[in-house]
Amino acid sequence: MNDHSLEPDLDEGSVVARAQDGDLSAFEHLVNTYQGRLFRLAYRMLKDRGDAEDIVQETLTISWRRLPMLTDVNAFGGWIYRLATNKCLDLLRKRSSHAADITDPEDIHAASETESLRPPAGIDPAHEAEWSAEQEGLTAVLDTLPPMQRACWLLREMHDRSYTEIGATLKMSPTAVRGTLARARHHIAEGMSQWR
Amino acid sequence: MALEDIPLLGCGRHIDQLWATLHQPPTTHEQQCEQCKMARTSLQRLSEATRSLREQDLNDPALKPRPGITNAIMDVARAEIRRSKRIILGSTEEGTTEISEQALSALIRLAATAIPGVHSRRCHIEVRSSDPSPAGEDPRSRGTADAGPHLIINLRVAAAAGIDIPRTVQTLRQEISSAIPAGAGIRAEIINITVEDLYDV
Repeated sequence: MNDHSLEPDLDEGSVVARAQDGDLSAFEHLVNTYQGRLFRLAYRMLKDRGDAEDIVQETLTISWRRLPMLTDVNAFGGWIYRLATNKCLDLLRKRSSHAADITDPEDIHAASETESLRPPAGIDPAHEAEWSAEQEGLTAVLDTLPPMQRACWLLREMHDRSYTEIGATLKMSPTAVRGTLARARHHIAEGMSQWR
Repeated sequence: MALEDIPLLGCGRHIDQLWATLHQPPTTHEQQCEQCKMARTSLQRLSEATRSLREQDLNDPALKPRPGITNAIMDVARAEIRRSKRIILGSTEEGTTEISEQALSALIRLAATAIPGVHSRRCHIEVRSSDPSPAGEDPRSRGTADAGPHLIINLRVAAAAGIDIPRTVQTLRQEISSAIPAGAGIRAEIINITVEDLYDV
């Protein structure tokens, strides 16, 4: 009876509780709800599709294994964002320690060859036109922020997570989140004014 | 880290204060202070770019993981499915009859969908065999009316805010109480229902 569909108006806490009991359709509902959000977060953190997809897959797979341990079903969203954010930060730390070891010029070329969603000039004029210069400036400056500031800014501004939740994710107080966020906004706003 | 880490403008105002009041008309100070005017303009530009990036990312088909991701995750979940405990319904010389807690829970959840205003959550089922025989009594001599296992169902639910909880829970209990014998031929002796949460409608 695992293939029954869920009631359309089911609250998320109930979906999580059923997934905790091993209900696969409830878990699949959570996968469908969160995979896009987690991908957008991971892509903006890592700027690499493959790495972002790996983060989504690992995070949601781990969530299935650890679900029974989640004590508050209404905390699922914060918990899954925390798992994904910390995986991104771990990967960025690994990348930066790896980058320090790179000496071979071919490796340097490979390391800088990250995919970008920005349409290459002249390839698709319609898409290119939609991509405003402001957004381009914003994403370019975002990529220069220290990882913790970027995570903080993305979680708050792109994903509407609360100060308390971001604090729990990044292991800082809500006041420190406020400070980090203000510095991130300050850096981005300054960077954007120098963009172009 | 404290508030003093929040970037200050030369006039002494926090960036944070400007951001919080960005969508309100500028104060007298902000109308006159050059630094505040410049900061407001660049923050407004950031605010607009942020809003449009969020919209763009939400709707960009390229900003979705490849379609195979769901299957890959669900394959692992299926392979590592949590086997629920089994409930022994009866034991004869020809063998035992068992049902998984998950199968019974699914039956209970299905019954619960008929009751508006409640969402079933976790479900644990215990079984109590026919009362232990008093010493010396031959179990075979007892009547058959009470024969078979008695289920004790512990169901947690979320209720819609504003409903009549005692009445709704009683209706739910009756629904489950008739669904179990109808769907599995077993009697549910005790149905404990806990409303653990309220959801907004």
